[in-house]
Amino acid sequence: MKKAVSMAMAVTVALSTAATTVPVMADDPVELTIWSPTDTEAIEAWWEEKLAEWNEANPDIQVSREAIDRSDSYAYDNKIATAVTSSDLPDIFYVDGPQVSYYAANGITVPLDDYFSEDDLADFVDSAVAQNTYDGSLYAIGATESSVAFYYNKDYLTECGVDVEDLDSRTIDNPITWSEFAEIAEKCTTDDYVGAHIIMDHGEGLPYALEPMYLSAGKDYISEDGTTADGYVNSEEAVETTSYLADMIAKGYANVEPITDEFLNGACATMLGGSWEIATLEANADFEWGITYYPVNDDTSEAVSPCGDWSAAISKDCENVDAAGQFLQWLMNTENVATYAAAIAKPATRTSAYEEEAMADYQEGSRALIKEQLENTAVPRPRTPSYATFSSAYAEAMSNIFSDAASNGEVDNDYIQSELDTVSDTFTEDYETYYAE
Amino acid sequence: MAKTKKLTGRKRDERVAAYVFVAPAVILLIAFLVVPMIYTVYFSGFKYQIMRPDAIEFIGLENYQKLFSDKNFWMALKNTVYFTVIVVPCQCALALGLALLVSKKFRGVAIFRTMYFSPQLTSMVVISVLWSVLYNANPNTGLINSLLVSLGFDPISFLNDADTAMNSIIFMSAWQGAGYQMMIFLAGLQGIPRDQYEAASVDGATKFKQFLYITLPGLKGTIKYVIMITMIQAMKLFTQPYIMTQGGPKNSTKTLVYYIYTQGFQKGNFGYACSIAAVFFVIVVCMSMAMKKITAATD
Repeated sequence: MKKAVSMAMAVTVALSTAATTVPVMADDPVELTIWSPTDTEAIEAWWEEKLAEWNEANPDIQVSREAIDRSDSYAYDNKIATAVTSSDLPDIFYVDGPQVSYYAANGITVPLDDYFSEDDLADFVDSAVAQNTYDGSLYAIGATESSVAFYYNKDYLTECGVDVEDLDSRTIDNPITWSEFAEIAEKCTTDDYVGAHIIMDHGEGLPYALEPMYLSAGKDYISEDGTTADGYVNSEEAVETTSYLADMIAKGYANVEPITDEFLNGACATMLGGSWEIATLEANADFEWGITYYPVNDDTSEAVSPCGDWSAAISKDCENVDAAGQFLQWLMNTENVATYAAAIAKPATRTSAYEEEAMADYQEGSRALIKEQLENTAVPRPRTPSYATFSSAYAEAMSNIFSDAASNGEVDNDYIQSELDTVSDTFTEDYETYYAE
Repeated sequence: MAKTKKLTGRKRDERVAAYVFVAPAVILLIAFLVVPMIYTVYFSGFKYQIMRPDAIEFIGLENYQKLFSDKNFWMALKNTVYFTVIVVPCQCALALGLALLVSKKFRGVAIFRTMYFSPQLTSMVVISVLWSVLYNANPNTGLINSLLVSLGFDPISFLNDADTAMNSIIFMSAWQGAGYQMMIFLAGLQGIPRDQYEAASVDGATKFKQFLYITLPGLKGTIKYVIMITMIQAMKLFTQPYIMTQGGPKNSTKTLVYYIYTQGFQKGNFGYACSIAAVFFVIVVCMSMAMKKITAATD
């Protein structure tokens, strides 16, 4: 009996060894793996349906997806970073807009120019192409864009004596100003409500949602060529902008520790919120709400709005770049872009997608406003290989500044200057250590 | 002679068996502890951006030079030591107190034991999220502030004030960790012979004196062990600041392990992160040895 068992085990081992050492035949299908953040049920179902469709139509290129938990803050990026060190990257992975240049500059992703011609890209909104381009080459391609707008609780604002009809009637040429924003926040701050929600999260949400404030005041975080932060993020304009935001916290108009869905839960009167909030509010809000354009600086009246979303990139470890490129061409066709954008409740990157039935609700109302911002005022986040360092340093500085304002009940501009100087120094050190020529 | 030979053979077999039994643990220790430690020291000598392993460059002791002049490193070390110095005695005292309470035999004692131990069974991430809500500065959201306000006090910005953030984390950590040490103390208490208490009682010793002269000496070994493991755990503080404060406000909850994480993964300075990790390792070893010396001196 023992002999028989031993023999059987030996045969099994021999067979399995043989099976794993059989050379890959030329006509074996190419297998591609995608990583993208775990998403809502609708998106998970979209992936399942689309991948089944592709795999059936393309038996020679089989694609599978692994949903990676994004959590909050920087968890997904950390997963990519560890995969780089262990050479464990998938063939295709999704990357958040401003990280495209970081991965491209470090050679983690490969250019996609061979798969997306200028004619193809002409159909994509400028902001999406700009965000995904680094050093003249396209490194990622995405189906969706994003924006941030000013949401307001109509029921509550009316109670507080704010002219809601005026807010409803604003146009992209006549958005509300910072002082109007502060005035509304002040009027609406009571024991039960705060007037505004300005902190999206304590990670990338801070530089993303607040950048238009800085741009509207006249200075971006980083120089346009992505090499310098000194004189930008710590400029006089930046200190003034940060001071304005910190003042909202100091006066108690905005919470320094906002709860999840603070606006939806009726705990704040207005919100600088992402375009994805529209679907959430439509489904769950038990009050009348409105949306208008991102507020502008009183002096410059320069209208700017955030943009950028997750895009697909091909990793350096991909052994079949052509197959991955072909798949991405298909994945980003008009129909797929339209259905994906509809499922994830975000604006599409392709202008032709808006003609599809799935995107019909972008013709008017709150979604049309988001589309209008994207087409007219969207500015991508800085394209620099040191963005990851900048983002975490800025988020840390802003958290410190907001905490300081909250605990002291007043704004300390010297402290703001010192914190922003630290952001600039951190960026400069990283850029000069790893990327400066 | 034949008998001796047989015994030697058995001894050899036993030795082989011992090596075989020990081998899995040794292999795992080497793979997951020794090798990473060697790599950590090795990479600390390089300029190594995590995203560009191909551009790795040997820079000798530069990372260590930078580290000793890095004010964030000193701040993180100070915060870590502060947390350890406060949390170790608080948590151990709390655990001992709880153990003394639940060592009594009364109806329903098992319920209390389970209750005190249950935070230990919950993930620290979940506990940190829950306590973030409890500590929320807004009385409409945070339960503790809601109670304070209803009692007529001003709300406290527990996690958003540099003066209170670390202490809030200490309180929550001691609450969470005490259950585990309580179980160890409980086992220690059960090892103290009952007749010592009976004899002391007959001699007229008060409860406090019994605790001082019987319980504490009887628990000496247990106390040493509990202090040592609590100290090492405390030095590794990461999850609470990561979830609750992200090292803020004003770096007041930035600990060494959190700093290693931000340098290595958020900023990609892998070589520099390795140098902090190497120094951290030396600090923990030194503290453990000092602790051992101090406790040995009390024997």
